[in-house]
This record gives sequence, structure tokens and C-alpha cells, in this order.
Amino acid sequence: MAAEVVTTPPQLAFYVAMTFYVVASVLHLSSLAQVPPWVKQAARWTVIVAFIAHGVDIGWRGVEQVHPATSVREALGFLSWILVGAYVVLSRRKGLSVLGAFVAPLALIVLATARLSPSGDAVTGLSSLGRLHIASATVGVAVFCLATVVSVIYLMQERNLKSKNFDGVLFRSSASLETLDRLSARLVAIGFPIFTISMMLGGVWVAQREQGFGRIEYPIAAVTWLAFAALMLGRSMRGLQGRRAALLTLLGFGAAMLVLALYFLRRSVGV
Amino acid sequence: MPSELFVIGVSWRSAPVSIREKLAIHDDELESHLASLIRTELIDEALILSTCNRVEIYGCTSRSAPASAVAHAAAETRAFFSKSRGFPAEKLSEVLFEHLEEDAIRHIFRVASALDSMVVGESQILGQLKSAFGASSNYQSLGPVLGRCMERAFSVAKRVRTETGISRGAANVSSVAVELAKRVFGELDGKSVLVVGAGKMSALAARHLRADGAALIRVTNRSLEKAERLADEIDGIACAWEDLEIELSKADVIITSTGSREPVLTKKLMKQAMKRRRYKPCFVMDIAVPRDVESAVGKLEGVYLFDMDDLERLVSENLKERSREADAATSLVEGEVRQFHQWMRQQHVVPTIRSLRTHFHEVAAAEVEKAMRNLEKASTEHERQEAMQRLGKGIANKLLHAPTTVLKQASDAETLADSVSQLFSLDSEDKSEERGTTPALNQAGLAETAGPSKKA
Repeated sequence: MAAEVVTTPPQLAFYVAMTFYVVASVLHLSSLAQVPPWVKQAARWTVIVAFIAHGVDIGWRGVEQVHPATSVREALGFLSWILVGAYVVLSRRKGLSVLGAFVAPLALIVLATARLSPSGDAVTGLSSLGRLHIASATVGVAVFCLATVVSVIYLMQERNLKSKNFDGVLFRSSASLETLDRLSARLVAIGFPIFTISMMLGGVWVAQREQGFGRIEYPIAAVTWLAFAALMLGRSMRGLQGRRAALLTLLGFGAAMLVLALYFLRRSVGV
Repeated sequence: MPSELFVIGVSWRSAPVSIREKLAIHDDELESHLASLIRTELIDEALILSTCNRVEIYGCTSRSAPASAVAHAAAETRAFFSKSRGFPAEKLSEVLFEHLEEDAIRHIFRVASALDSMVVGESQILGQLKSAFGASSNYQSLGPVLGRCMERAFSVAKRVRTETGISRGAANVSSVAVELAKRVFGELDGKSVLVVGAGKMSALAARHLRADGAALIRVTNRSLEKAERLADEIDGIACAWEDLEIELSKADVIITSTGSREPVLTKKLMKQAMKRRRYKPCFVMDIAVPRDVESAVGKLEGVYLFDMDDLERLVSENLKERSREADAATSLVEGEVRQFHQWMRQQHVVPTIRSLRTHFHEVAAAEVEKAMRNLEKASTEHERQEAMQRLGKGIANKLLHAPTTVLKQASDAETLADSVSQLFSLDSEDKSEERGTTPALNQAGLAETAGPSKKA
């Protein structure tokens, strides 16, 4: 049976979102230097406009039956939208607008990669269980992605402080180490249960389809889960925090990205 | 006549502290000094600013004073300053500065914005200026010009603070230490502090940390007696030197300032302490010379170690950053100075504009009334046209009569003629000849009436 290709041409909202993500990326990156306050305000509002346009685009594609759980590329677009939404909420807090310098370019790259890559085949045999698995995995990974961005900023700021680099990027603009560490811990605590449910749903779905558990993605996904489980456990039982916690977050997210990349390649290029 | 602003005084730029302290004006002297100043004929408004870095008198000449009065008013204030402080006038003139009119506005705005401060961007001066403003208001020595200038200065200072980075970054070692600690912990609320050694510098730093919310301050020293004395001073708790390792593991912030020649906090000691506190972040500030903390301690996980050199380097970088921002702040202040000066100029001409308008309206109303009577009598279209032409001619002649006479008789006729040309946007003679005068004006004989000003 020939696989169905599920896609629809990009709409105006997509181009608006892309344009505003480009502008927001430039403004946020320039905000890392000493700039007048209006530049930071403009950066935040540009991201908000991009987020709304991106939401309209996702809604429109949903109407056209190309919803976020249709394929990996749609899921990636949805992931970047959640990431930006979470940033918009967090950026109101002091010292966290610096996240935008990472989130805006990341959202731009992920969205561009997702939409401008070959559409590939639709996921075959996509049941409600499969849709739930893709949707919850997307949300979980988006939250982990934000936790990872926070951890990267933590590591950069820690390096500035340890090496006494008072001119370093982020030194003056970033939130404190303790704030970043606490935020990363909270994000992982939110993402972990969602990701765990997604893993369980995925397991049942794969079992139902009787395709076996032989694919390389499955053990790597387990590494993601184990890394975040160890992080949660370490934080609560052993007082794990700071640099070690940040590195473990990076490891877990790296594994999740590997899984996504493998899925993406499989679906887009048919590897 | 217009009121003008002036400033006289001494500041850290012009006079050493030994002179500034002799010229300082105390709070209990303000009322009498301000009253004396505004009692003089030339001065309507006055304000006195006396801080450790400057003693300045801001004044405003009275409306009834002639235009050249501002220099005399400043001279009178100078004499008053010298007399009231019992300081010889000749000596005072060596250190005294004086700013008049636009320069006075600029000086007041720059002082309020902390651009003239020893530490550019410091926040204390604005509070001191507001207190001086409050005192002058209470003693009723402020009026519409200086009062408005001060209010404008406060809003300029606010703009400078919010729109430029002039106040960004701490400017002294103790504040920088707090700033760095905040980069690790965010807020210092509830953080515990351990002071190792009982030096004055550590007491100062501990006070800064306490002011920023640090909860518990413990002091340890080889001599328990000294530790207790310092603990009393800073509202802390003294603890025994023998418990140092345990105390280190409890502290989020450690300040060391002992007189020891050997490092007190070794890598081995801190490693044990960090293990005990499960590598929770610890901010260590070594302000002792020679240093109290082995530099290898800074490499331990969770330890953020800064010594005196680091703190001074950050102070210097913050000051550099502030001076870079001072350029932006200066152009902002210049814009505001121009605006306020413009407003003052407008205040000078408002009464003249008002009289001019009233005069023009009265002339027009009288001529219109005459024309109405003529129109009632007119029976033909030709008579009505003549009545209208007489109206125009009448208004123009009445309005031009006085200025034309003055212009013809004035000794500085040329300057006056230039002003008239500028006021009425009159073209040069050549241009008016090219264009020619309108038949209606010729008919009414106005071209001749307006002639002298054009020729001039």
C-alpha cells in the first residue's frame, strides 16, 4: 500500500511567523550587549507577534487535517511553538528575557527545518493512541528543551563567574545561578511526567502495531527517560544541583534530540 | 523684565574638602540664609544645596530687575556667601564657580542626573537635591522659575537613570561584592554569612549584605573577644575559631579578612566543607591582603571565590561602563536644557505677546465699528467697496503708525528695521520691487506708509 503524503502549502501566517522570528532573533541577540531598554521591549513584542502568527498557522493546518500529531515535521513545528509560548510567559521575570536569545533562533531553525524539509510519508496506522503519544512526547520534549536552554545559560554564567570574566556574554544580563538552577529543576519536574506518559503510550502503541521493539530509537528514548529520572531522583534524594544537574539535563535532552532526528530522517528521507 | 537663573558654589571639582567643610551650610542655618537671599532686591528665588561634595546656591533674579541683573545678583550672592561663612572674598573667588542663564540650567540638570558627581551615576545626590528643594519650599524661597527648573531637573534625572546605563553596576568594593553574590544567589534574603576575621572591611561588607537581606551573620576570629565585639557591632553571633570547618559548611557567603600571613581557608578545608553542604553554592569574598584563601579553592565545585583584585577590577569596569553611558546621558541632558531654556525665553515674551494681541484686537474692533456705520449709510455698490477699502486702510495705518514713527526716530534704526523684517517675514527690497505692491495697497496709500521699514 502506497504511503499517504500529508501536507499543505505554507500560508501567509507561516511567512509572518518566520519573518518575526528572524527579527526577534536579531533583537534578542543584540540585547545580550548593553542596549537601551526599548530594544528589549521590542524583542519581546516581536516574539509575541511571531508566536501568535505561528499559532494561527498551526490552527490553519489543523483545519486542513495537517495537525501536529500527523507527522514528525508537524510535531517539530508544534514543539517550537510551545517553546516560544513558555518563553513568553517566563520572560516577564527579571533576568529571564535572556532566554529569548536562545529560544527565538531555535524556534526559527526548528520551524524552518520542519516546514522546508521534504514532507515525506504520513505515519501509517496512526491511531488515537499514536496521536496521543506524539502529542505528549512533543510537549514533554518542548519542556525539556526549555530546561536545557536554561541549563546552557547556567553553565555559561557559571563559567563567567568561575573565570571572573566580567565582560562575558550574559554576565550582566542573565538571572542568578540559583534562579536558573531552580527554574531548570521545575521545568524538568513538569516535563518528566508528560514524557513518562508519552513513553508508556508509545510502548503500547508499538506493541499494538506488532512491529517489535528493534528500532534504534527505542533504547535512545529510554536513555532520555533514564537521564531525567536520575536527575529528578538526584535532586530530591541527594541534593543534586548546579553544574552536575545542568550537565545531566543536557545529556537527557541530547538523547531526546537523537531520537527525534532519527524519526525525522526516517520519515523525511525514508532511511 | 525676564527672570534669569544663576548658580554659584564650590564642588569637589573646584575646592578640596578642607575648604568645602568650612563653607558647608548646616540645616539649621538654611531658613535664615534663604530669607536673607530673597530679601535682596535682585533675587526672587533661592535654593541651597550643601553636601559633602558641594556647597551651591541656586538663584533666580526678580521679574522687576533689568536684563543685566543676573551678573549683579550672582555678585551679591557671592558677597553674601563670603560674609555668611566668614571666608575672605579673595580666597573664595579662587575656588568658586559661577554659571548664569543657560549654563545655570545645564549645571542644575547635570548635578541632579549625577553627571557632575565624583562617582558618575551615584544615586545619593538626587535625594540630597530633593531634600534641599523640600527645605526651600518649606521656607518659601522658591517661585515659578527656579521651582519649575528643579522639578524639571528631577524628571531629567529619572530619564537619565531609566534611559541610560549610567547607574548600572556597583561603584565601590562592598557594593560590588553584594552585586556578585546576587549573581550567584539572586536575592540574599535568608542567606547565612560567615565573617572570618574581625577587620573593619569585613564589617563594612557584612553590613552591606545585611542591608540586602542576609539573615544570619556569624563572626569567627582567633580571638573570641574581638569576634564578640564585631558581632555586637553588626548584630551577628560570635562563634569559636575551633568550629571553623562546621561554620564554613553552613555559610552561603564567606567573608575573610584576617591578618594572617598564611592562607586560613585551604583547599582541603573547603573541600570538606563543600562535601558536607552537598556542593550547594558558596560565595567566598577574600578581602584580606595577604590573601586568606588559597586560590585553588576557587576551582572547587560550587565555590565562587573573589579577592580584592577581582572586586576592584569589577568596580573599575563598572565605572568605565558608566562613563561610556555618560555621553548618552549628556546629550539627553542637553536636549532638556534647550527645552527648558526655550520655555524661559517664552516666559519673557508672553506679557508682550498678550499686550500686542489686545492692542491689535482693540484697533480692529474700533475700525470695524466705524466701517459698519459707513456701510449703513452706503447706498451703492461703489460706496460699499470704498467703505471696505477704508476699513483695511484704517486698520493698517493705525497699527503701523506707532512702529513707523519709532523706526524713523530710533537711534539704532538699522537693528530695529532688521527685527521688523524678521518679525513680519518681509522680503528684501529687490524682491518686493520684482513682485510689486498690490493695487489695493497703492490705492490706500499703504505702500508709502510701510516704506521706511522696507527700505531699511
